[in-house]
Amino acid sequence: MSEYKGIQGNKVRNYTSDPDNPKEGQVWYNETSNTLKVSSVSTVGSWATGGNLNTARNGMGSAGIYTSAIAFGGATPSVTAVVELYDGTSWTETTDLNTARGGVGGTGTQTSSLAFGGETTVPTGATESWNGSSWTELTDLNTNRALMGSAGSDNTSALAFGGEVFPPTANTESWNGSSWTEVSNLNTARHMLAGAGTSTSALAFGGRIPGVTGATESWNGTSWTNVSSLNTAREKPGGAGIQTSALAFGGATPANTAVTELWSGSSWAEQNDLSTARQGSGGAGTILNALAIGGDTTPPVTTATEEWTGAGAPLIQTVTTD
Amino acid sequence: MAKTYQYCVAENWGKGFIEHSESQKITFRGYPANVWQVPAHNKNANVWINKVLGQVKTKDEAQALVDAEVTASQTAWDNNNAIDGETIEQKIDRIGERPQDITLEE
Repeated sequence: MSEYKGIQGNKVRNYTSDPDNPKEGQVWYNETSNTLKVSSVSTVGSWATGGNLNTARNGMGSAGIYTSAIAFGGATPSVTAVVELYDGTSWTETTDLNTARGGVGGTGTQTSSLAFGGETTVPTGATESWNGSSWTELTDLNTNRALMGSAGSDNTSALAFGGEVFPPTANTESWNGSSWTEVSNLNTARHMLAGAGTSTSALAFGGRIPGVTGATESWNGTSWTNVSSLNTAREKPGGAGIQTSALAFGGATPANTAVTELWSGSSWAEQNDLSTARQGSGGAGTILNALAIGGDTTPPVTTATEEWTGAGAPLIQTVTTD
Repeated sequence: MAKTYQYCVAENWGKGFIEHSESQKITFRGYPANVWQVPAHNKNANVWINKVLGQVKTKDEAQALVDAEVTASQTAWDNNNAIDGETIEQKIDRIGERPQDITLEE
């Protein structure tokens, strides 16, 4: 029988924590968990639990990737200004928003993000920019709103679409780093929707019209085009990804759902469910590695984070003797 | 009738509570009151329950725990009437749908 050293050229090494970027097929022994680990590539998407938030909430803004994310504001159910940073393992509290609010829009990265709109006691247009250490108040949205869709790459470019204005709006605004400009409306006015992508290439999906909807629209920087709807219509889904490859997870149908769907650029396909059905969770990342952050699990609000590993993504597995 | 699912109560401690290697083998469903549903008569499910120190519950015991949480949520929703003259649809727009009953499967 071949030995590992004969195949790989070295012995199985011991580590106190899993290596950051192991090669496919690499085997090591984790001295902390006393487990044998192997690096592979995921063949099917699945959710695992991630580090719990310090403050349970729903309707937060969120941005970043699965190993470097930020979650700000939300409702506990009282509106909160709490901001937390994720490092791939745990959440750490950092500087609060200036304006506590729930149903807040969010885009960007962990070190350059934008918080806009939301609800204090009424919908607000307040916009704040995060530079990695503090929040700065900037120009408000033209239309105050909460529970909108959002997209954007950093704190200098963002898109706010739809949202709760009483009644729900189709209004869309684009952020250029200093001010908001009204651009073409969504085809379907709605709130409680999710978004993915950038300010020039975005996707809007799900929401409430007032009935729940699976309607999906694609933004090309100038106008919205109707594309294939979600298989499961829902409000308050979480979202991650970009215009041509996105992930929709959870939401309410109106019952809380765990359903996860993957957008290929032309249609949605069902994937493995979240372990816990929830609505109003934050989202971050890509279709390979994403986060579902907090949300409402049929009250109370939850601290639970789930980590998505999509097909084709690197995956660390524990070797068992089964 | 053979059981399809088994239930336990376990607190989700975060990272490592459910790993990808586990969720690719069995389906987990989390419910209110830290109730977890996993397949019955399944070695992988039993290993996971042992790992998380889950307290095994019958379906009826688990249902009672879930019902208590849902009822409390429904009562909170019913009592949230902050705006005079608000219609049901306006209330749903403001705070979402009334939490629905959850029925666990055998």
